[in-house]
Amino acid sequence: MFSNRTRLILSTVAATLTLALLAGVLLGAVVLKAGWYDIGATRQHGQLVYTVLEQGMRESVRHHARVVTVPALTAPQQIRRGAAVYRDCCAHCHGGPGFAQSDWGKSMQPVPGPLVDAARRWTAGELYWITRHGIKMSGMPAWEYHLANEDLWAVVAFVQQLPALTPKAYDEITAREADR
Amino acid sequence: MRRATVPAWRVVALLMATATMLALGACSERRASATAEGDPARGKVALTQHACRACHMIPGVTGSQVFVGRPLGDLAESKFIAGSLPNNQENLVKWIRNPKQVDPLTAMPVLGVSETDARDMAAYLLIRR
Repeated sequence: MFSNRTRLILSTVAATLTLALLAGVLLGAVVLKAGWYDIGATRQHGQLVYTVLEQGMRESVRHHARVVTVPALTAPQQIRRGAAVYRDCCAHCHGGPGFAQSDWGKSMQPVPGPLVDAARRWTAGELYWITRHGIKMSGMPAWEYHLANEDLWAVVAFVQQLPALTPKAYDEITAREADR
Repeated sequence: MRRATVPAWRVVALLMATATMLALGACSERRASATAEGDPARGKVALTQHACRACHMIPGVTGSQVFVGRPLGDLAESKFIAGSLPNNQENLVKWIRNPKQVDPLTAMPVLGVSETDARDMAAYLLIRR
């Protein structure tokens, strides 16, 4: 068994940890209820908080998207369909070739990034998962209940083509699909 | 053990060189902030509200690792904006407000930035460091 000294040390450690935990919970509750935290979107997260949240988001998407089976994504007709979906559902917040997002997309926090580099950051399966399920607390909506499954894949196919698209080519491909 | 003695003139020269460098550094810093009009603190927030950080990395503004646009950390030291405009606040405001007018082929879109916001943003970007 433990000696008296060891027992004293262990109980002191346990008592200190319990008290620290209680003090932490109490402080947290006071800050929460007092409303001291500035929830305004003109006040940014610190870089550390942002980076940790972003890292968690990335790992979560990777983990959940690992079971997604990716279909063929190169058919011109599919890409054209994706262009129309992109124009109607994505461009407001993410912008596109040669144009920025609308005012509400510009001032969202976190800001919805351009998707020109999305296919380098994410695999096709991950892009599909993000589009389908959205990202909690980021403003990225889930499209599962608003778009047909073929349209989800079509927009992934289109996003993969974005880096090669000039503003003129974007105007053409989205104009041709005006009556989707 | 005998300690090497440093001649007095070398100490004086070193001190003078250090003082000169410090003075020059202070001068150039003062010059940069003296030419920047507007409110850099307000400009820092404006940079978050016009989605600048979506494409550009900007010291002091929170966001992801992104290289769609050039990082703006060393903008104050650049000689030119977009490779053609001499780097000063007036030109930076012009570029921020309508990049396509300066370079029709630029990937940077027009973002609907007001004159005041652009001036404050330029102040933050040019004064920093």
